[in-house]
Formats: sequence, structure tokens, C-alpha cells
Amino acid sequence: MVDALVEIHRVLAPGGTLVDARPDSRVPAYAERRRPRGFHRFGVVKTARLEVANDRASDRAIARAVREGFFKRRRRGHFWHLVPFSSLSELRNYLRDHQRFVHRAEWVVDAATRTRHSNDQFVIRRPVRYELLEALRRRK
Amino acid sequence: MSSALRPRPNDELGEWGGPPLVRGKRVLDLGCGDGRLALGVAPFATRVDGLDPDAEAIAEAKRNARKAGVRNVRFAAGAAQHLPYPDAAFDVVILSWTF
Repeated sequence: MVDALVEIHRVLAPGGTLVDARPDSRVPAYAERRRPRGFHRFGVVKTARLEVANDRASDRAIARAVREGFFKRRRRGHFWHLVPFSSLSELRNYLRDHQRFVHRAEWVVDAATRTRHSNDQFVIRRPVRYELLEALRRRK
Repeated sequence: MSSALRPRPNDELGEWGGPPLVRGKRVLDLGCGDGRLALGVAPFATRVDGLDPDAEAIAEAKRNARKAGVRNVRFAAGAAQHLPYPDAAFDVVILSWTF
């Protein structure tokens, strides 16, 4: 990953911007039912352990590139992205096939509530983080 | 992951600072997949290059660019460790859901 960052630094003009945006595995995602106004939280969806490890490796690579003077951190932020589903079973199928998430949500509502609302519309509310870094001119 | 399940390009760009971030700039979308984001920033940028190791995704991105009639975007298959571009070729490099 550090190799890729060195290459990115090479092709960026000095003062250019690197945008690093990705799902935030440090914060859980949520399975929520759409209500006429707002959402009803049904469960917590954690990131798969391997993906958490990959994200940490990416963080370390960025930190190293900053430490070695390739980039300077300029700005970072966070937002929520809603992935829509037409039913609870569609959400479950998505989780089962998705590599990034663990394959089952940790439900915070009982089974009867899940059954009662199984044909409602759902979302996965997932956290996304981004950081803008400035390419620095390196001393030879 | 299907790019249809990711944030819309304009939403993502808006979070990062909006069109001024790429306006009049040379942009590289690294890990561009089917070109979703590259095509989304193309109306603001001078030129956009999209690179992805998946040749099938690049073929799809090229089809999407033709369909959208976008002319300032080029797509190529390749790896981030060996970028096929000269030094200082870009003003902005985007790693969106890639790294």
C-alpha cells in the first residue's frame, strides 16, 4: 500500500490533492426500518474482521506516507450513506453476500417485531469517512 | 460491491468539498471500477483518467462513457503500484472505496 502511495505522490503535481474515501470500519453500520418520519433501528451490522484489519493497514500506510513527508493532512470528515432495501429478506440477502460486513446483523428488536415488519422498507445506514491530503514537494 | 449501492458521485463530491475540488483539474480515479465516480466528476474536470485492475470493469466503464457521451474521460486497466502516467500528471487523485 505504501508503494501505491509513493506512486500516487509521483503522479500528483506538488500541492495536488489525494482524496481517500472509504467505509468507516471503526463505527458500526445499522439496519433500520423506514417509518413515515425517520427510522426505527432494528440491528447493528459490524464489519468483518478481515476488512477491519485491511482498513487498519490502510490507515498505517497513510500515516507512514505522511510521516515520511509525501503528504500533509488537510481535512477529514465523515458522513452516513443509506443503502435501501425493499424488505428485510432483501437486506438479509445483501448481508449474506457482502464481504465487508459480518453476514448477520445483531438484532436489537425481538423476532416478533422483525416478522411483523418484514415487508417494510429497510436501509443499512453505513458510515463513510474521507480525508483530503496535500502532495508535498519532497527534498532530495 | 455493486457501484449502485454506493453514494451518488455528486453526493460524495459534495462531502469532499464540492465541484471546486476538481473544477478545471486533471483528475485520476484510482480503482475506478465501472467509472461511476470518474463520469460523475468529468463535467467539472478538464480531464479524468480512470484506472482499475479489473479489465471487465474497464470495458464496462468505457461503455458507460460512450453511452453518456462523455469525451474528457479515459479508462485503462492497470495497478496502483505501477501507474502508467508521467510525473505530476494530475492535480487530484481519488481513492474512493478503493484503499
